[in-house]
Amino acid sequence: MNIAMDAHPVTLVVDDDLSRNRLTVLVRILLAIPHLIWFFLWSILALLGSILNWFATLILGQPPAWLHRFLCAYIRYSVHLSAYLYLTANPYPGFMGEAGSYPIDVELPQEPQRQSRWKTLLRLILALPALVLAALLGGGVGFSYGTFSRSGRSGSSRNYSSLGGGGLLAGACAVLGWFASIVLGRMPRGLRDAGAYGVGYGAQVRAYTLLITDTYPNTDPGALLQSVEPPPEHPVRLVGDAHDLRRSRLTVFFRLPLVIPHLVWLYLWSIAAALTVIVNWFATLVLGRSPEPFHRFLSRYVRYVLHVYAFASLAANPFPGFTGAAGTYPLDLVLPEEPQRQNRWKTLFRLFLAVPAWIVSIALSYTLFVCAFFTWFVALVTGSAPWGLRNLSAYSLRYLAQVNAYIYLLTDRYPHASPLEGEDTPAEAATVLPVALPAE
Amino acid sequence: MTRSRSTLLLLLSAAVWAVAAWLLWRTTVPTLHLPHLDEHALFPAQVLRRAQHYSAVERLFWLGQTITQLVMLGLFARFGMRWTRESAAGPIGTGMLLGMIGFALVWAAELPFAVLDVWWRHRYGLPASYVQATIGNWLALGSQFVLLCVALAIVMGLARARRIGNRWWLVAAPVFVGLRTLLAFVAPWLLGGRPLHAAYASKLERIEHVHVPVRVLRGFAEPNAFSTGLGASRRVFLWKPIVEQPFTPRLDAFVLAHELGHLAHNHIWKSIGWYALFAFPVAFLIAQTTRRRGGMGVPEAVPLAIFVYVVLQLAQLPIQNVISRHFEAEADWSALRATHDPQAGVRLFRLFASQTLDDPNPPSWDYIFLENHPTLMQRIAMAKAYAAAQSP
Repeated sequence: MNIAMDAHPVTLVVDDDLSRNRLTVLVRILLAIPHLIWFFLWSILALLGSILNWFATLILGQPPAWLHRFLCAYIRYSVHLSAYLYLTANPYPGFMGEAGSYPIDVELPQEPQRQSRWKTLLRLILALPALVLAALLGGGVGFSYGTFSRSGRSGSSRNYSSLGGGGLLAGACAVLGWFASIVLGRMPRGLRDAGAYGVGYGAQVRAYTLLITDTYPNTDPGALLQSVEPPPEHPVRLVGDAHDLRRSRLTVFFRLPLVIPHLVWLYLWSIAAALTVIVNWFATLVLGRSPEPFHRFLSRYVRYVLHVYAFASLAANPFPGFTGAAGTYPLDLVLPEEPQRQNRWKTLFRLFLAVPAWIVSIALSYTLFVCAFFTWFVALVTGSAPWGLRNLSAYSLRYLAQVNAYIYLLTDRYPHASPLEGEDTPAEAATVLPVALPAE
Repeated sequence: MTRSRSTLLLLLSAAVWAVAAWLLWRTTVPTLHLPHLDEHALFPAQVLRRAQHYSAVERLFWLGQTITQLVMLGLFARFGMRWTRESAAGPIGTGMLLGMIGFALVWAAELPFAVLDVWWRHRYGLPASYVQATIGNWLALGSQFVLLCVALAIVMGLARARRIGNRWWLVAAPVFVGLRTLLAFVAPWLLGGRPLHAAYASKLERIEHVHVPVRVLRGFAEPNAFSTGLGASRRVFLWKPIVEQPFTPRLDAFVLAHELGHLAHNHIWKSIGWYALFAFPVAFLIAQTTRRRGGMGVPEAVPLAIFVYVVLQLAQLPIQNVISRHFEAEADWSALRATHDPQAGVRLFRLFASQTLDDPNPPSWDYIFLENHPTLMQRIAMAKAYAAAQSP
């Protein structure tokens, strides 16, 4: 499957050293208040500007240069502010959205681009899937129109227009990162990368919606985080042919009923796994490592979960087996082959320690569901999965597998929230899932 | 095995089968000379016309659906192997996938008929839902798939076992009978329902010597009832519309007596017995026909096996209906004896024609393939025969 893609005209630049000032982190939301007021005012102008821009682009085929510059500055400023609020960067941002002025920045087209009038006409409709994903990943601050009803005694209801922020993933990372930064004075790298990914995607969506570019936002984490160094290799990682995007339309259409036998089997297996992990916890506490049979059984279980989820979410095409055997599925999981020595303290408090990872995994579970939903429609029409959505699904699956492996005591390495796959040894590079592959 | 020994074994099996069938066939219904009745005298002309017109088109839908199903599965048996490449599940898992795809294709092919059926029911004021017929059935495929996967796991697992191989059917048939028995035992507890508080219920239980819970199930739009369960799990379930107007307690008593009659005469056990009698030859024929594809141990045989299974089911249908009608007649007879109220029976069956648009006197082919109960005319005739026998 040829997945050649042009580089997206909106790229994220990350030049952050992870260090955080504890004091500014502690009161970050308060420090951001002047920015939020300023941003609100700017958003009103941007809203008017974007309406004008829509008409102008429809007529001229491209945005007027002055509007383009204004909206680019607005997007850049929103990225700076989002990065600051989500603790993706440390310094206090400037108020003008100047290029290159902030560690988390965005490169936008310098000149207005010619755009398809059809795409322009239908831009808001076309942008809907991307807007939904942005809301999950980290849309960042921006103008939004929120409607919610407040029923009074009279039964009346009101709609509210507000300056909105969003992003389940970036938000979860920010909350966890806040505690970590207060304690450590540093932002954990995985959380920073995940937050930056959300901010970057939000910038692409905004650029698309505000007619800066007609290139559709790309959810591929590798493409978005090109300027970020890959994290160290994790013992739990995905392998497989990421380029196999072919999907059988028939099995896509019937994917939900087809997965039900697997879900029934998974449910039964989960009961056995839950009982095993309790015994395994005691054994690992005493021995300092999991007994071999438990390790093998739980490894198969964790791998089987990945196979089923990958099939259900259309991240992979073929119907998986029921045994969770290694090397049987195109999207497979590498796990430690032998039981590893594990820190007894980490084992003792494993469930408590897993809570932050579990919070991130909830955000990624929603993301996986939404990816599957959109992929279903695309795959049904085109017979293939979109590269970006497939890789975002792979990222979610990998993280969920790492959380499972951590909870089931297969490793005591903490799940790495970075959307990038860990750096591999050259020998393995050919087979490891290239979620960080640059677009060809 | 020599030819003569094979023949002897076959004859012996046939003899055992025939004896078992004779034992299961026996009922308490005496030889009755049913009176000839004129449906025009029993049903208002308008009701009769509606029921006949409605049923005629329903029969066409069934015919179309059946032909479509056979054509689809025939094509799937021929070309279905190509979907093996969509599986990474090993031979048994791949077999499961192929089986599920076969069912899914049948669902897709039958979809227009399902939609037409809803439209047709709406025209006659009968309850039906487009959502249920389309999306609901699409999701319901999931539960069918689970059962199919279990069945294929058993068959293919046995066929792949070295010591069993092509004789898998000898082991699989008893396993399926066991599963059917288990399901019949467990299912009543899963259905729920609210207890029926009616004075006639306990009276009928005493008469029929069957003391079981009687429950009313919500969520059904048609008047109906059924009995199920084995031993401690035996239950009678009445669908809610049958305990509401225009069905009166007197008619409900007849319905309940009919269902208790099924339990009193061990019809659930007998139906399991019949299932066992058919399970062996069906499994044997599937084993024989799939041999050319490598036997049931390989996934490539699954599309053909499903096709053969469906054809055999269709071929069995007339026999299954004869057996079912036989048991239903015994339950009707049991109800007549328990209630001593043939008038209630007649009124109930006449009401069915207007409420469910059952054709009181369907054509022969419909009777052979579709009617698993005696026709309304036959049931009324039995009630009148009972009344005649009771009158001094």
